[in-house]
Parts: sequence; C-alpha cells; structure tokens
Amino acid sequence: MFAQVSLLYFARSAELSGVRSETISIPQQLTSLQLWQEIVKRHPRLGTIRDHIILAVRQEYVILGDQLLFLHPGDEIAVIPPISGG
Amino acid sequence: MGLGTTRNNFEGKNVVRLEYEAYVSMAEAEIKKICSDIRNKWPMIQHISVHHRLGVVDITEASVIIAISSPHRNESLDAVKYCITTLKATVPIWKKEVYETEEYTWKENKECQWSRNEQK
Repeated sequence: MFAQVSLLYFARSAELSGVRSETISIPQQLTSLQLWQEIVKRHPRLGTIRDHIILAVRQEYVILGDQLLFLHPGDEIAVIPPISGG
Repeated sequence: MGLGTTRNNFEGKNVVRLEYEAYVSMAEAEIKKICSDIRNKWPMIQHISVHHRLGVVDITEASVIIAISSPHRNESLDAVKYCITTLKATVPIWKKEVYETEEYTWKENKECQWSRNEQK
C-alpha cells in the first residue's frame, strides 16, 4: 500500500534538493532508513548530509534506522539539518 | 529574562546580518512542549513568553527573547536557562550567518544531537 505524503526541506537540505516542498507516493510501512533512501533517490545531493540530518514525521523527530513507520495519506515529513535557533 | 543578541565576527569574517528560517508549525509545538516542561518542573512559575525572530535580523538586534515570571527569582532564572538550552537542542529553527562578502554559513548548535559540533 502506498501513501501520498508531503516532504518539507529546510536550510541546507532545501539548497541541496532545490525544493522547499513536494508530494511523493511511498510505501505506507517502511523503516526510517528506507524513508531516507526514498528521499535520496529523488534528490541524490542530499546524500552528502546523511550523517547530520534527522527526519520529522508528523512533527516528531525520527533518527535514520530500523524504526518502522506507519504513514497515512497527507502525513508531513521534514528533513531537518542541524538546528541553530536561540 | 534572557535576550539573545548577535556576535558580529566569525573566523575573522564580519557578519553583516543573520537570516532565520523555521519549520514554523513544529517549532511552535516544540516551544509549547518546553513551556509545559517548565510548568511541571517549576510549579511556581507564573507567566512564560518566548519570541523568536524569523527572516533577516540585523546584527545589532536580539534574535530571541524569553521572559519568565515567578514569586522568587531563582525559579525564573533556572527556568530561563532550561528554556534556552532546550530550545537550542530541539526547536527547528535555522540560522544563516551572512558575511560582508555575501558568503554565508548555516550555523549548528552544539546542543543539537545531530550537529557536526555536538558535544557528547
């Protein structure tokens, strides 16, 4: 089963992908690492920052790894480079 | 109260301005979590206010202001410190330092667990 989800890119990741947001169709169940791989497949230049990003799925941080995600249509996923507020 | 202003020099290059962007909806949610944490840790706290500038911020201006009131100042001061430290570690806001050459750097907080400069 596939779901249409929104991808958001910020800061350096927006520069590397060339977009701020897009909608993609991906499997509803996948690991966070597989999700990252779906993103890099579409924007290979993002591979250069792999070790210094985290994802946010439905506004909760998710590290790249084996955690199994259950995505719903319309879910928001963001690529989060190292933060620098404050 | 804590007021965060800008350092105007980095590796000998003059910073002419800062530019901030944010994942606004998540940043607001994370700041609300910090406020809840503060109320749980310091029940005497009365008011909490957190404002963060976005977009272009001149180097002479404050980027963030945190104001916390309580009957005794020790709680407020501890809560302000907790607030700024946790904000730097968790709130999805990004700062770009722009130099007089128009080159820029995306800064990374050492408090951020996934930054290059993370202190373990």
